[in-house]
Amino acid sequence: MDFISPEGLRLDGRRPLELRQLQAEIGVVEKADGSATFEMGNTKVIAVVYGPREVQSRSQQQHDQALVRCEYSMASFSTGDRRRRGKGDRRATELSLVIRQTMEAAILTNLLPRSQIDIFVQVLQADGGTRACCINAATLALADAGIPMRDIVASCAAGYLNSTPILDLNYLEDSGGGPDLTVALFPKLDKVSLLQMDSKIPLDVFEKVMNLASEGAKAVAQFIREKLMENTKQLVLAKGR
Amino acid sequence: MLQSKSFVKKTRHGKVLKVVREHYLRDDIACGTISCTVCDNSKACLSSSSGQIIVFDTNVALHQIGLLENAAVSNVVVLSLVLEEVKNKNIGVYNRLRTICSNPSRNFFVFSNENHRETYIKGLAGESPNDRNDRAIRVASKWYHAHLGPTSKIVLVTDDAENRRRALAEGIVALSVHEYVQTLGNAELLDLIIRTGSEEAQTTGDAEDLRPSKRKVIYPEHKLMSEITSGLHKGIYHQGKLRVNRYNGFEATVSSESIGEEILIQGRMDMNRAFDGDVVAVELLPEDQWQANSLGKIAEDADEDDNEEAVGLVPDVAEAVTDTVAAGRAGRPRGRVIGIIKRNWRQYCGSLDPMLNSGGAGGFVHALFSAADRRIPRIRIQTRQFANLVNKRIIVAVDAWDRTMRYPAGHYVSTIGDIGDRDTESEVILLENDVNNKPFSKQVLDCLPPLPWSLAAEELQNPNRRDLRHIRVFSVDPPGCRDIDDALHCTLRPDGNYEVGVHIADVTNFVLPDTPLDEEASKRGTSVYLVERRIDMLPKPLTEDICSLRADVERLTFSVIWEMTPEAEILSTQFTKAIIKSCAAMSYAEAQARMDDSRLSDPLTVDLRNMNRLAKIMRKRRIDRGALTLASPEVKFEIDSETHDPLDVGMYQIREANQMIEEFMLAANVSVAEKIFGHFSQFSMLRRHPVPTPKMLEPLLLTAAAVAVDLDISSSKALADSLDRAVGGDPYFNKLIRILATRCMTQALYFSSGDLPPPEFHHYGLASPIYTHFTSPIRRYADVVVHRLLAAALGLIKLPAGLRDKALLTTVADNLNYRHRNAQMASRASVELHTLIFFKNRPTDTEARIVRIKSNGLIVFVPKFGIEGPVYLTGKKDTKDESDWIVDEQSQTTVSRDGKYRYKVLDKLVIHIEVVEPQPNRPKLQLTLVEQPNA
Amino acid sequence: MGEPMRRTHFRLSPSQKERLSQAQERCREAAGSVHASAFVNVGDTILVDYENGFLRGHGTQLVDGQLLATVCGVVERVNKLVSVRPLRARYNPETGDVVVGRITEVAPKRWKVDVNSRQDAQLMLSAVNLPGGIQRRRTATDELNMRDLFTENDLISAEVQTLHQDGSLHLHTRSLKYGKLENGHLVKVAPYLIKRLKQHFHQLKQYGVQLILGCNGYVWISAVPPSSSEMEIDQKPADSESRQPGAGTSEGQNVEITRDLRVRICRIANAVRVLGACGFMIHPDSIVDTYEASLSWGIEPRQMISGEFHVRVVEREAEQRSKKG
Repeated sequence: MDFISPEGLRLDGRRPLELRQLQAEIGVVEKADGSATFEMGNTKVIAVVYGPREVQSRSQQQHDQALVRCEYSMASFSTGDRRRRGKGDRRATELSLVIRQTMEAAILTNLLPRSQIDIFVQVLQADGGTRACCINAATLALADAGIPMRDIVASCAAGYLNSTPILDLNYLEDSGGGPDLTVALFPKLDKVSLLQMDSKIPLDVFEKVMNLASEGAKAVAQFIREKLMENTKQLVLAKGR
Repeated sequence: MLQSKSFVKKTRHGKVLKVVREHYLRDDIACGTISCTVCDNSKACLSSSSGQIIVFDTNVALHQIGLLENAAVSNVVVLSLVLEEVKNKNIGVYNRLRTICSNPSRNFFVFSNENHRETYIKGLAGESPNDRNDRAIRVASKWYHAHLGPTSKIVLVTDDAENRRRALAEGIVALSVHEYVQTLGNAELLDLIIRTGSEEAQTTGDAEDLRPSKRKVIYPEHKLMSEITSGLHKGIYHQGKLRVNRYNGFEATVSSESIGEEILIQGRMDMNRAFDGDVVAVELLPEDQWQANSLGKIAEDADEDDNEEAVGLVPDVAEAVTDTVAAGRAGRPRGRVIGIIKRNWRQYCGSLDPMLNSGGAGGFVHALFSAADRRIPRIRIQTRQFANLVNKRIIVAVDAWDRTMRYPAGHYVSTIGDIGDRDTESEVILLENDVNNKPFSKQVLDCLPPLPWSLAAEELQNPNRRDLRHIRVFSVDPPGCRDIDDALHCTLRPDGNYEVGVHIADVTNFVLPDTPLDEEASKRGTSVYLVERRIDMLPKPLTEDICSLRADVERLTFSVIWEMTPEAEILSTQFTKAIIKSCAAMSYAEAQARMDDSRLSDPLTVDLRNMNRLAKIMRKRRIDRGALTLASPEVKFEIDSETHDPLDVGMYQIREANQMIEEFMLAANVSVAEKIFGHFSQFSMLRRHPVPTPKMLEPLLLTAAAVAVDLDISSSKALADSLDRAVGGDPYFNKLIRILATRCMTQALYFSSGDLPPPEFHHYGLASPIYTHFTSPIRRYADVVVHRLLAAALGLIKLPAGLRDKALLTTVADNLNYRHRNAQMASRASVELHTLIFFKNRPTDTEARIVRIKSNGLIVFVPKFGIEGPVYLTGKKDTKDESDWIVDEQSQTTVSRDGKYRYKVLDKLVIHIEVVEPQPNRPKLQLTLVEQPNA
Repeated sequence: MGEPMRRTHFRLSPSQKERLSQAQERCREAAGSVHASAFVNVGDTILVDYENGFLRGHGTQLVDGQLLATVCGVVERVNKLVSVRPLRARYNPETGDVVVGRITEVAPKRWKVDVNSRQDAQLMLSAVNLPGGIQRRRTATDELNMRDLFTENDLISAEVQTLHQDGSLHLHTRSLKYGKLENGHLVKVAPYLIKRLKQHFHQLKQYGVQLILGCNGYVWISAVPPSSSEMEIDQKPADSESRQPGAGTSEGQNVEITRDLRVRICRIANAVRVLGACGFMIHPDSIVDTYEASLSWGIEPRQMISGEFHVRVVEREAEQRSKKG
């Protein structure tokens, strides 16, 4: 199937190196310590952070650092066909673990001993690139909650179809059979926090796709920074004096 | 800018899904005109100053693609909307349209109007999708007009009158196809325009009466798709591919999975407008109408007198035998076609039937086109150039077949050449068998290394390449062969064992994956051997020079080297890339002469004799294991060097030298197969020969029983042994039995090892558990694939991405099987053509053997010329009273009523062969009996 | 631009949204006292004079010799101390803060109190005023009767006694003004909106309402206890009659709460809520201001939490700020 037309346009009219439209909102759940929604095109994710707070099960308490927990779930209405997904779903468990590890690397856990940080991520609309979107939303929520972090974590996905590296795949392109690479990095420190790919590709192709995903993540980081700055300004200036 | 497209669709299982997609609008899409200052015109090819710029709509693309392909049409804007719609409706037309667009000389520009901010429109409430698309096309035309300024001429071409009306109201110039062609001023183009139902009245069936009012319904209707699907579910209808009998255009079979056997379709009405190769839905007739006569007739349709059995080459596999005889069965299921699920229409070569009143020179004539392929019914076309075309071979495409039309309606596409002209007829053979004989494109030729080529110093340094130039390597090939792809050596080692090597031209060193050269070779799949020429898979510089292992030059090879005992037991096998220098390129006759000449004892002859001895031992071992030696009825033509006409035709002679080379090639193929399967068990390219089913062997058994020959078909070894024992009245008897056995064999096939379990790898004919093709990479693409697999297995190269994909390998194997079969059919057709030319002015009497008894005649085989055909006993126009002859199926004899004549299968006969022309420009071979009472 | 306000339980009509965003704009312009570069995001570099030396405070990290922020917020420089104060974080306790908390657990010799902070605070048995008001050693009986003093889910007001290295927080109620809270209304707001003032106990005598602005964002509103003057003194001789649980309470059970008083308490509580939702600083003046405004606009307490009132409050604030500015 032609994912990139000979005129250089993808199925939805983007060019291979273009990201989808990004939208984010901070502070959507008033009860939570931090919350945010993040949209990449039609993929929409909401992340909610509770913490740092007292550890709920005493046995898991760690005396020198915070306990980070993460739970990922997909709403039953998030895909084209309504399907109820159980919590024990393999994919949900894997993604929960992945997001937890990614964010844990960013949070300065040793500043918050004996406490617990809960990150809940739910996909409201799934159209490809949910992993990246979840991480971005979690970053915003954590920053909103005022939890100290080494750096923001920005994430983006890229693939390789019709012999061209493509940035930010949507669901159709994702199911196109090519590789799907997600990268999450600390833009300021220029370090990679998460790198995941499913499929087998030769090394030179991998390099191209990885570089493209990193570029995309940096662009997303820029967007995240703008959003956070805006939010901070809003709050400070509203407070006045 | 982001729009959202959402629609609701129904999946195959009946679920309803809502699909929401993003749709980005851009402002960086170029208009494609060279002179435009605003847009980025790096890919521009339209010129606004010269003449008009055309915009056409989807129906024009779908119906008039032939017109668009004509070079007179240029400076065209193809909207992405139109492309999408065409892709959804007809992939073939879409591909053709894309080919035109990518051709820079045609000036077709693809404008992405759906993504351009100014030309994208949303559907209005209550507007149907078609209306919305039409409006989008008009908006795009208007935009072009505004963008390029008032000096430009934008013309919208559409056959939809309503669309034209609205366009004119909006200030856009709009023309119908007819009007547009007239502006081009080229009368021939008018012929290319297809008349669609919306424009004019359809042509009707009978040539005599074309008035619409006289149209009557001839065929039963086709059921709707929904009815068919529900019927398939319930099991009252059956789906399958229609295979039309080669000898009888109105008899066909449908092999359906829901019924174990094939359903017979007989007669024009039951076939109900289906073509050979269509996927059809069939309804079974009531059982009492099932065919009781199992012998079948040589077809005599009272209406059509050209659907008779033709004289042709002896079939070599069961599939080529398409007369619908299945001995011993009471009644085969019969059915009729009630719907066509997928049409298999393509372009057909053939010629127009001559007509008595062909009308004036400029007027339209409704002519009937007969295709060269006898399975295709006649097609009615309209043309103005009847007088020109009547003696030519032309290409015609089919458009539609209505219930009221006796024949399908089509249109003329192009001319090939004069009928009877040998080159034209060869061209027809190639076209009909989908063989690409266009010259190699520049991109392909650019992939070749520069000539003259000689061994580079780096190759000598290459540690992976052994230097074997000191070894006495030689090659043995047919006389006049210039593409030598194999060479051998056989040296006696000090310890008494032999070192035998098979060296194959290292084609993959020059044909690299994913290059244009490789892609072209992959599509072609194999070289095609016609009688007078060869259509190469790879360009000549490679096949005849750089890769060809000619004598006295250094060449690169991929070699298999065995260490063998004098009893031809293999002790070790080595695979390596090598450099050789062949010392002699002999023909089979030469090699044989050397071996036989006891006076010669030079090292080369000694090597040959040693090889021959080893080969004989290997052959005997193979036969003990159960390999079949079937007789090949191949004939060879002697061609006159000037006129290229056949001078003489004779049976192909097999010598010991042939068998020797064959033996080692087989051994090499088996060794390589084992090696690559050991490394890549999931995607090796292998070759298998499925065991024939007992059902397929029934005709052979019946015939054998009739002549008191007992054949044991329990295993290939048993069959081989019983074939050896089958000796009859004369020396040719055994050969005949073997020829009959050949007809029952299945076709050998390429396949990917990941698709089948190992027991299925078996090659019945060679009695080998695993086999592949390795030894002829110059003329077969399968061997190229195997070379790459072997090189990867040895660690010499990285396995290319295309070979790691299982599904891709399966498609490659399927393509190769298709190409191989087509090449064989093209070869056979070429031989038949030359046979015809040979007999044209040489009526001959010769001996023949009966191979089958039919109700109104015999099928005979002529050994000397390797042809087979029908001999009628009853006259054609006689009444259906066939009681002049009494047929006994069990003993396969037919006896005349007066007892004077008696014929039994495998009997000897004398027949007369000559070329007759019952219709002008349709020559054919006819076999008649030279009467001799023999009862 | 995103939503004008953090997601709240009411919906604004488009025209209201319009007015709200305009008013907020004006607010922001008027309050432009904070320099642009003082805002930082996570990972942003903080401009520091490296030669003169600096002290690294909260919310910063040193990476490769560069000072980076770890939270989003405002940079604060006090002499050489550079720190970043995050906005919406949990309560960051400091010694001497007055907090309002809820007992979550009764453990041996201590209570665990939820104060909207990283960890639950600890209230040692030795840090509370025993009934009777005398200072004596805590006996085993006292330990067993801990639940008589405070049990789970009780609200208390307390003061932060110490802050340990590992972050654990100790409270004390060693003053009569601290202790169990009853008969009142708790409103939770974001901690950063509560400024640290000298006094956290405010009596709005004109309404008969008492306010405790806990530094942890918990605000307690209740009726003024009858003998308020006595509450100024730290210690009070035990009253044998008033041997009730939690004698150090700020209010006795004897205050009768009329409907009128209830309405007033409710109005104050809603005023606090509105200020919290709009993101304005909460201190007695602003609360009283909002209260008066609602009265003058003739708005019922239950209408105060509607969108319209929020919009008007913001507009009013904008007015005031621009007047000041």
